[in-house]
This record gives sequence, structure tokens and C-alpha cells, in this order.
Amino acid sequence: MIPVAIIGTGQTDHTRKRDDVSQPELVREAVVRAIEDAGIAGNDIEAVVISNMELFEGRAYPELWVGEGALAVGRPCLKVATGGTSGTSACIAGFHQVASGMFDLLLVAGFEKHSEGHTQTGMALTDPFWDRSVASGALGNFALSISQYMAEREVTEKHSAMVAVKARRNAARNPHAHLRMPDITVEEVLASKMLAHPVRLLDMCPQSDGACAIVMASQEKARQLCGRPAWVKAAATRHEQPYIGDIDRRLVTMRTLRDAARQVYRQVGIREPLKELDVAEIYEPVTYAEMAWYEALGFCAEGEAGRLVEDHLTDMDGELPVNPSGGVLSTNPVGASGVIRVAEAALQIMGRGGDRQVEGAALALATGYGVYAWADALILGDSP
Amino acid sequence: MSERMVVEIAMDQAWRYASGAAMERFCASLKNREIETLRCGGCGRRMLPPRPFCGNCRRRLEDWVPVRDSGVLKAWTVVHLPILDASSGTVREAPYGMGLIQLDGADTTLNHYLDRNDPAQLKIGMRVRAVWKVQRRGAMDDILHFEVME
Repeated sequence: MIPVAIIGTGQTDHTRKRDDVSQPELVREAVVRAIEDAGIAGNDIEAVVISNMELFEGRAYPELWVGEGALAVGRPCLKVATGGTSGTSACIAGFHQVASGMFDLLLVAGFEKHSEGHTQTGMALTDPFWDRSVASGALGNFALSISQYMAEREVTEKHSAMVAVKARRNAARNPHAHLRMPDITVEEVLASKMLAHPVRLLDMCPQSDGACAIVMASQEKARQLCGRPAWVKAAATRHEQPYIGDIDRRLVTMRTLRDAARQVYRQVGIREPLKELDVAEIYEPVTYAEMAWYEALGFCAEGEAGRLVEDHLTDMDGELPVNPSGGVLSTNPVGASGVIRVAEAALQIMGRGGDRQVEGAALALATGYGVYAWADALILGDSP
Repeated sequence: MSERMVVEIAMDQAWRYASGAAMERFCASLKNREIETLRCGGCGRRMLPPRPFCGNCRRRLEDWVPVRDSGVLKAWTVVHLPILDASSGTVREAPYGMGLIQLDGADTTLNHYLDRNDPAQLKIGMRVRAVWKVQRRGAMDDILHFEVME
């Protein structure tokens, strides 16, 4: 297997609605920034992977419409659509293709324009026999699982509010983030509108319009083109059974994420992730999920996530800063969000995180999450 | 330029899906207020909905077992922001209760509506039972909701 590195990233300034650009233009905005960041020309790209949830915008063949903006014409191009994991899975697919020796320079481009379609409807178009008439959407599914998680793990609404505050304050230092709220307080979160008990408006991610692209390179190209590339040290992905009721205790166990994390930790030789990782960019569409992921990712023992939050161990100046970007809680263009996790982790390794840089970051975790059905984990580092 | 040009499209379409034999038998039973499912000969799990193969064991399933229409509330929420019912195109009036229910005789949970929408009156571990519609068509919504058993 050929070592692979990320040598460039680019993203749009994510926001609620981008009526000023079409979908191809939105994608091109991120792609141009990524290839400029990598210091290459568009013609240097040999293959493209696109990530988008096409049912959200209600438009078939997204790779066709946005393909020109993603430099895909005349090149191999494939599309990944696995809910929230679309972006991280697209990065892993790109990693596999470069690691195989097939390509030296590959582009991953993810995007979503939620303002143009019906995200909840897209998500509700599931198995027509079993759960359509009793579907509860992303929000209801989370809320159900959260009731179990809270009962078993003594996590409180205040812990949740603290996670919400951390995310939006971090986002205030990220010029690309959608929800930038430097002055947000725990009281404000706890007073926000109830959506589905116990999940409040400020506990949830927004729906954003945005795109993100990364350039991946083989070892030789990476050394040639980039002074400090972000090496992909390990990547793993997991698939689940189809129905929410199939999965034993859902958030509490989250076996997809747990297993993917264990695999990448084993490959890299990580035993104590909280101590050994320098930074993490995790896919947390709701505050409670962030805490559940702390446990699934082995940042703490089961039942200790609330303490991690109380002790501020995952704040910017804590033992392991989680989501310096503000995370999915601050920005969620779904097809782009996984790519953003990987791009943000890469920026940290490259030392180009700006105001959100974690000093001296050399080992980073990026994860993806899609409706309990999928989970991805990648480890990036400053050496192959 | 103040207003950007946007194209607005509204569509009304219909779809049809084949159920497969296992779901067909399950739905036919619902009409008679009966619930049954398939048990995996490998792991022994009785999974709802019934499906022809076990994802974990990669085995075909053929062993039908009866499931009761009462069980335990394993998780709950009260939804204030309703979503579209993608089988009817309608939106349910909020707030309403939802739960994950483990029926007696099943090893997985099913998601369904609850007869209560007050968080103070809902608790994990409560016994609940199905309230059936009088007119049944052989579908999950033949169960109106689950009521808490006092």
C-alpha cells in the first residue's frame, strides 16, 4: 500500500442559504480553493470522488450536474451517498484509490444545499413497509436514543448545554462556520425551544449550504508538492443492520463507531486516545451524540462523558480539543460535513488552523456518522 | 440585484414497492390483530420486522414465532416539531409521544406512537400495549398507538 497524504483543502463559507450560486458553482468555489491550497492546476487531478445526498435536493445525478465544477469531466468519477458518513466515506474511497497506486492526485468534493430541497422528506423515504408511517426523522430518532443514553449514563441537560456552548464558541474562531456565537451561554441553550424531548433547538446542528474539497496525493507527489502534508495513517468504515430497533441500545453502544475506532487505533498503535491524540474532529449532529461518541471512541470509560464535559477536557485548551472548527453542531451541509471533518483535521496537522489551531498537533482523529447505519474513523498524522 | 432567480418545482408522484414473502405474511397477520416474526437459527434473535436473512449471522430465516401486542417501553420522546409521514404525505399534530417498544416475544424494538405526550408521565420500563384500529389494511399503522398499562 502506498502512503497517502492530504496536501490541500478548500471550503465555502457555510451558511443557511446560498441563492447567489447554483450547486455546480458552490462546489467549484470549494474545489478552486483546494487546488490553489495544494499548489496544483486543475488538470493535475487524475480522479474525483463526489459526496452528496441526492434525495435531500430531490435531483438525480448530482455528479453529472456538479461534475464540471468538480474537475471530473474526462476522468474517473464516483459518488458516495451514505447519509452523514457520505463525506468521510468519500475520503476513505479516495484514500483507497491513491493507496492502491492507481492515482497520484485525487480530489474529494462534498456538498449539500439544504435550502433547495426537503431534508426531512429525503430522510423519511425509508423502507416503505416498516417505518415510514411511524418515522420520527433524525430528530425523533436521536431523541428516542437519548432517553436511553441519559437513563443509563447519567448525562444531564446541562451537560448537553455545555457541549452546545463549546461548539458555538469554537465556531466563532472559524471563518467558515455557519453558527458563530461567541457569547452563547448554558442558560440560553437551556431556554431554547424544545424540539423533541429532551432535545432543544440549540442542542441540534443547523442545516447549511456549503461545500468542501480536499486534494489527496501519493507519497512521492505529497513530498514533492507539500512542505507539511497530513498523512492518512489509518481509515476504517462500518455498516449496520437496517432498522433503529435492531441495534442494541443505539447511542449507548454505537458499535459501528466503536469498532471503526478500535480498528484505526490498533493500526496506529494508539492505546489511550485522550492522551495520545492531539485533536479530534468528530461528526456530532446533536450534543448528546458528542458525549456518546466520547465513550464509543474510548476518550473515557462508559458513563464518564459528563465528567469529561464538566472538567472541560475537550475544550480548546483541554487535554484533547474536540471540534476546534465548531463541528457539525455549528455547520452541517451533510454531503460536505464528513469532508469538512477530514479537512479540519488535516488543517490541524498542516499547522494551518488559524485562530482554531491546536498548537503542535501531530496526531488527529476524524469521524463520520450516518443515522446509526454507518460510522467512519480516520487517523491523520505528521508522518506516514 | 436584490432578488436572485430561483426555479420552483412542485411534484405529485406515486410509487409501488414489492414486499417479499416475509413482510407479506407479517402484514397479513396484522389484519387479524396478530404479530409474528422470524427467529434466527444462529443467534436466536427474533427480529422485528421479519426479514428473510439475519445480517449478523448471514443465515436465511424460516422459523416463525408469535409475538404479543404488549411489551416494555425501552425509550421515549415527545415530539414538538413534527416531520412528514412519508406514507401518507401528512404531518401529525404535535406534541405527540413516540417510543421504542420491545414486544413480549421479540428481541428488537419497534418505533411507534404513544397515547401520552406529557414527559412527566412517561418512563423507561413502563408496560405498554397496542391499540388496534377497527378497520385494518395489513400495515404498521393498523396499530393506532401504544397505551400505557396502568
